[in-house]
Amino acid sequence: MESQSKILRVARAKNISIWSLRLGLFIYCIFPLYWMVVSSIKTGPELLAYPPTFVPHELSWGGYRKLFDETNFWTYFVNSIIISGTATVIVVILGAMAAYSLTRYQYRGREKIAKFLLLAYMFPPIVLIVPLFIFASSLGLTNSRVGVALSYISFSLPYAIWILRAFFQSLPVELEHAAWIDGATRGQGLFYVVIPLALPGIIATSIFTFIVAWNDFLFASVLISTDPLKTLPVGVNDFFHMAVVDWRLIMAAGVMITIPAVVFFVAVQQYLVEGWGAGGVKG
Amino acid sequence: MSPCFFCRQLAKPIQVRRIFKERRMNSKFFNPFKAKLESSRQDITGILLLLPSAVLALSFIIFPVLYNVWLGFYEKHSLMPTASLVGVKNYLFLLKDARFWNSFYLATYYTVVSTVLQIVLGIAGAMILHAHFRGRDFLRGVALFPYMVPTIIAIFVWRWLMNDMYGVIPYILNILHIPFMPAAWLAHSTIMYVLIFLSVWTFFPFVCVNILARLQTIPPELFEAAKVDGASAIQRFIHVTLPQLRNVLLIVVLLRGIWMFTKFEVPWLLGFGAGAGEGVRTMPVYTYQWAFTFYNAGMGAALSNIMFGLLLAGVTIYFIAFPRGQEE
Repeated sequence: MESQSKILRVARAKNISIWSLRLGLFIYCIFPLYWMVVSSIKTGPELLAYPPTFVPHELSWGGYRKLFDETNFWTYFVNSIIISGTATVIVVILGAMAAYSLTRYQYRGREKIAKFLLLAYMFPPIVLIVPLFIFASSLGLTNSRVGVALSYISFSLPYAIWILRAFFQSLPVELEHAAWIDGATRGQGLFYVVIPLALPGIIATSIFTFIVAWNDFLFASVLISTDPLKTLPVGVNDFFHMAVVDWRLIMAAGVMITIPAVVFFVAVQQYLVEGWGAGGVKG
Repeated sequence: MSPCFFCRQLAKPIQVRRIFKERRMNSKFFNPFKAKLESSRQDITGILLLLPSAVLALSFIIFPVLYNVWLGFYEKHSLMPTASLVGVKNYLFLLKDARFWNSFYLATYYTVVSTVLQIVLGIAGAMILHAHFRGRDFLRGVALFPYMVPTIIAIFVWRWLMNDMYGVIPYILNILHIPFMPAAWLAHSTIMYVLIFLSVWTFFPFVCVNILARLQTIPPELFEAAKVDGASAIQRFIHVTLPQLRNVLLIVVLLRGIWMFTKFEVPWLLGFGAGAGEGVRTMPVYTYQWAFTFYNAGMGAALSNIMFGLLLAGVTIYFIAFPRGQEE
């Protein structure tokens, strides 16, 4: 009898400790974001109160109002959407073309290209930013959305091709052959067989590209200096250069920038994990 | 119906179709994998499909690398078109520059400490998320959040969390009576710790996901067998899980190491935004400063080249020291 209750006690202690680990992980990941949201909707005095309040007593939208009325937030937002959206569409199209070529055609140097893709994936942008800036300014690509989008496309492409290549490789060629025998052309085989089956990979690729472009600070800050062309990260960073740093405004901007990334992310989470598995682990 | 051209027999249409089908299947057009390495219409299509990506990679990745080598030997203003050859002067200057060596030290310190912490937290997180429990998928999603949050936002939030006067983390540490706490976290001498906390928070999900993906492919029989043999949970972790994770860990450590050493945005925005930049002036930050604050592109290029060289050397040594084992 006694040993049984001891086993139960041990099991319960184990259970509690495991659940507290899970809770700890949850709080660690979510608390900074929770704090951002809460800070953005507090009233001015409550924001700076000591001790800080963990649940706001009174809600205030002042930070958001100021963000929309007194700053160029929407200009930056539109720029970010245009640049990231264009880069994503182009990367997916070019990436799918290249991955199809690498998996379905035979020519010299395919293996070398695959190795180069991984190398380029590791490549840190800071090593390239100086020559790229000089190169871009000699081509007149500074202070233009095209220049920034082009640099995002070039930097996301190797990884995009790498993921898509893994997905295309996992699809049996026989499926395409079957379609061809039924009279499909090569292009039809690609559009009706390969792409629908590789959709998880394509979605994962587009999310990665979008998030890389959406989050980037370095390229945008170096290549763009006029205010109406700035993207969100660069534009919003200027809020710190105001005479008085308004934390409510900054937290509101934070919430507004995080939402698109998180919405995308939640919508396609299962594809994302698949994509990470294909891209990150097989390296 | 006319007799078959080859066998002089009357063939039913269905058979003719099958013969043609087989012949087509064996032809190069329909089975490109059987084709030999020679130029043909299909192979050219393949190269054409690859061409746009190749052009972009050549002009925006490979050309800049080469151009950078050239640029490192010149003295050049970042915005002016003229450049004058100075040979290895840029490199000689850097070798004697105390700030350069400090930036090297800071980058190394930052890389080592933050990578180790990310790996430890990442493995722990992956172990937690691997078990079956209610709400696991939700927690998996939450654990990826920090990686998806834009860098600039992560920095906003951590600067606010660690704020000298209103920050909530100093407040919590204070009411917990943790000793030896600095009065101001974002000051010159302690900002490196904030940089590390922030980086670990932002980047540990990368480790977590990669480890988790590998954990899911380990056959459960291995754990069952170890359990039957009387291995404790810790022994199972050390003798079963870790050897299985070896290859993933090698790659993840390498990638994180490279990316932490060359991380620019995080130290730059955190340090120089808070006015304590010297405390976190790592090599990427120093490079950026030379090229875009002092407008000395030649020196910036020399620094990038040094960073690139270190990176190549590091990767080579790493692969010699830890050859990849066979994936079990």
